[in-house]
Amino acid sequence: MQRFLNPAVLGTIASLELLAKTVVDGFVAGLHRSPDFGFSQEFAEYRAYVPGDDLRHVDWNLYGRTDRTYIKRYRGETNSQLTILLDASASMEYTSGSAGRVPLPKKMDYARFIAASLFYLAVKNQRDAAGLIVFDDEVREYIRPSARQGQLARLMGGLENAEPRARTDFGKPLHHFQQLLHRRGIAVVISDFYEAPEQVIRTIEPLRFHGNEVVLFHILDPQELRPIMNGPSLLVDMETGQRIEVTPDYANSTYRAKIDAHVEGLRSKTRAAGMDYQLLLTDQPLDRALREYLTLREAAN
Amino acid sequence: MGLLTPWFLGGLAALGVPVFVHLLRRHVAVPRPVGSLMFFERGTQSSRKHRRLKHLLLFALRAALLLLVVLAFANPFVRRPASDSGGRVLLIVLDNSFSMRAGTRFADAKRDALALLAAKPASQRAQVITLGGTVQVLTQPEMDATQLRAALEGIQQGDGHGSFGELGRVVRSLAESTPGPADLHLFSDVQRSAAPANFADMVLPQETRLIIHAVAGTDTVTNWTVAAVDAPAELADTKDTKHSRVLAVVAGLNTPAATKSVSLVVNGKTVVTKHVDIPANGRATVEFAPLDVGFGFNRCEVRIEAGDGFPQDDSSVFAVRRSDPQRVLFVRGSGDTRSELYFGAALQAAAQASFTLQAVTAGQTGDIDPARFAFVVLADAVSLPPIFERNLRDYVTKGGSVLVALGTGAGHHAAIPLWGGQVRETHEYAHDGTGSSTIGQVDFTHPAFADAQPGRDNGGWSGTKVLYAAEVDPGGARVAARLSDGTPLLVDRSLGEGHLLVFTTGFDDLTNDLPLHPVFVAFVDRVSRYLSGADRLSGLRRVGSYLQLRAAGTAAATAAASPTGVEVVGPDGQHPLSLAESRTAQGTRLDHAGFYQVRFASGKDALIGVNPETQESDLQPMPAEMQELWAASNAAPSSNMNLTANAAATHPGTRPVSLWWYVMLLALLVAVAETVLASGYMSTQREDA
Repeated sequence: MQRFLNPAVLGTIASLELLAKTVVDGFVAGLHRSPDFGFSQEFAEYRAYVPGDDLRHVDWNLYGRTDRTYIKRYRGETNSQLTILLDASASMEYTSGSAGRVPLPKKMDYARFIAASLFYLAVKNQRDAAGLIVFDDEVREYIRPSARQGQLARLMGGLENAEPRARTDFGKPLHHFQQLLHRRGIAVVISDFYEAPEQVIRTIEPLRFHGNEVVLFHILDPQELRPIMNGPSLLVDMETGQRIEVTPDYANSTYRAKIDAHVEGLRSKTRAAGMDYQLLLTDQPLDRALREYLTLREAAN
Repeated sequence: MGLLTPWFLGGLAALGVPVFVHLLRRHVAVPRPVGSLMFFERGTQSSRKHRRLKHLLLFALRAALLLLVVLAFANPFVRRPASDSGGRVLLIVLDNSFSMRAGTRFADAKRDALALLAAKPASQRAQVITLGGTVQVLTQPEMDATQLRAALEGIQQGDGHGSFGELGRVVRSLAESTPGPADLHLFSDVQRSAAPANFADMVLPQETRLIIHAVAGTDTVTNWTVAAVDAPAELADTKDTKHSRVLAVVAGLNTPAATKSVSLVVNGKTVVTKHVDIPANGRATVEFAPLDVGFGFNRCEVRIEAGDGFPQDDSSVFAVRRSDPQRVLFVRGSGDTRSELYFGAALQAAAQASFTLQAVTAGQTGDIDPARFAFVVLADAVSLPPIFERNLRDYVTKGGSVLVALGTGAGHHAAIPLWGGQVRETHEYAHDGTGSSTIGQVDFTHPAFADAQPGRDNGGWSGTKVLYAAEVDPGGARVAARLSDGTPLLVDRSLGEGHLLVFTTGFDDLTNDLPLHPVFVAFVDRVSRYLSGADRLSGLRRVGSYLQLRAAGTAAATAAASPTGVEVVGPDGQHPLSLAESRTAQGTRLDHAGFYQVRFASGKDALIGVNPETQESDLQPMPAEMQELWAASNAAPSSNMNLTANAAATHPGTRPVSLWWYVMLLALLVAVAETVLASGYMSTQREDA
């Protein structure tokens, strides 16, 4: 089932729900071999009975063997709320085409896969409420978090309709985020973050003040991290349409240093702000994103 | 500067292709989208300049390549003065004929030739040629002095007869194959006797300048020599004073009257020495008789104690083979009784007692082996026992010879033994009203009629009357004589290694009156020698003559039949023929003076004495006026020279030097550079795509 986590394979599945089911089933099947993560009621510890404790929690089997009363304690479990903030700017439409012979999905498609998988995991498996905010330079679509019947279909539809256009502007939709996320939960921001790290943190940090667990999924194409350029090339900005000619020397040296610094800046600044950061390349499997979500959910509980 | 084929310049239209590709066609840059230019910086200036320079360089190379290829096809040339030594081919001709053995002539000539070669400019092409028995071109025109020097140093003294006529012919053919100016340096003693009878034969091509380096000097050299030797090749009876003798002619060239001693040397031992008075510039004859030699082959030599300036020509060698009289099998027809009489008498009179006749009738031949006889005569014996006919065929195939006379009996029995054909018809001139026929045509080059100077009466043959003749189809055989009505009289056909001679009339006086004429004796003599092969097996030859080793047309068959082949051992003990040649060669050239030992394909041995041409003994140089005339003979256009009509002809004093080779070399270099540059460019484009 692991192969269904491969974005190249997922690109061939048309239905987002089916895709999400495939990913999550494959991911859960993989979890049985991993003791580190759980998603149902779990045993936490034994504690000596004290008067006032609920007798339902006494482990009578243990009492029968030892004549001592102990109470089994379980990790408390509450329903969480997952809100995904999906960047739908034009730059998310980028793909380098292929990595070797394997066709790579567009960053937007990859982001959709992640979002869909997270929604499926949250709604179907965890019974969590899930919501979606699609934005570029403004909030284009908002689906209120809910765990009701049909919510998953609405979320999938929202993802389907999220077509990239315009440019990213974290500043403008900021106050919308704060208004929309009034209940604590998990906020996942999926973007390529072509913005100064300080600006990104300044925009997203307020979400954290509401008690949300915030995680940034930084989606990049491998070629954006390590561009291959054998000759002078004419580059076109997908958001602004600006054209410049770039030499290979620059792309192979200065550019790489700059993008590395940018990634490192995002990573360090998000950590410093108490948020999580995950760099996801479009040729990587999707399970890293799902793992990150479950970890955060556990922490939130 | 000009173009030999200017119409190829039309190919310059192809220059439009790179002009269109590089200059007219707009280059469409395919933009490459990226998510954001946030981290990119403009770097256009250097890359665009670099690319533009690369494109212009590629365009220049491609245009230059096309231009050079078109130019090469147009064949450009530059004119150079014809007197430019750098463009003249140096022809070094070294005379190694027999006369160059006199004194230090050959060494001097070789030294001078090597000195000339050493002084040659490195860029000048030269060619080495020898002038001996044959004119041999030893090298191609080339600049490599080492190779030329090796060729020159490898030339040895020879025994042949040099001919300036042959030299002129070879140089003319060289000029036709590789036209161009040349300097011919002739290192020779410039013998007068080397000049041909026709002066036009030695005229050199127009662009060839002759420079004669005479090594003989102007001093006259006195020289006595043995000019000719007349000795029997075969000797049966040493006491036969008529034949057992040696006649030697000694001659003086540029000599005063003197008395010289002349010796006959047999097998290295001086047998007789005689003194002879030789007049000034005259000749004298010396006779040694009897010639007492042992049985077998004898190496004989006539030597004159000359004490002159050219001792190498003071002797003349010859070989004499002494043997018992050879038997001749004479098979006569049952009704023929006169042929034996006439033929036997003629043979006895002519052949110096070398042959004895054994006559049998056709019916008695059943148990006779023909291999024991020198040759076989079938006189009107057309009906032979089959076993004898088969033996006879084997005998001829292995080198024996048969003379068939078709008398009146042939008319009754159409098949001719061994011939493979039949008598087509018989002519009985006595009955058909003409009375008789005469011999109308005789081939005096045939050994049976060999006569250097036949008289006006057709060598005595015209007076004979032929009353009866059988007509045979000669096919591919050689017809040596015909009757006046065209009927073949003597037909010679090769069978294997041997010969079959068919005489279409009889040897008796009933069919013709030939036996009554003196020419019959000479005829029988020559036929006997020819059929017995005596002339081939010993005697005297001249250097440069050709020795036939096997019958023509039988080389391949003989090679398969006899794995040993022929064997020739030269005077120096070397085998001039390779193993392959010894199995297939039909003949060999006798290039050296001395004794040649030969074993023919038929198994017969021979010893042949070979002497240089007597003209080589005449050391008188060509008169200076004649040398000047020769050197200047090609200055004026000669009618017999076929000059090529080229550009040089229209510009006297200049010659065109083609540059196409250099242009093609340059084009190749440009093509390599273009390939390297273009491959780098294309590979970048491919990866970008």
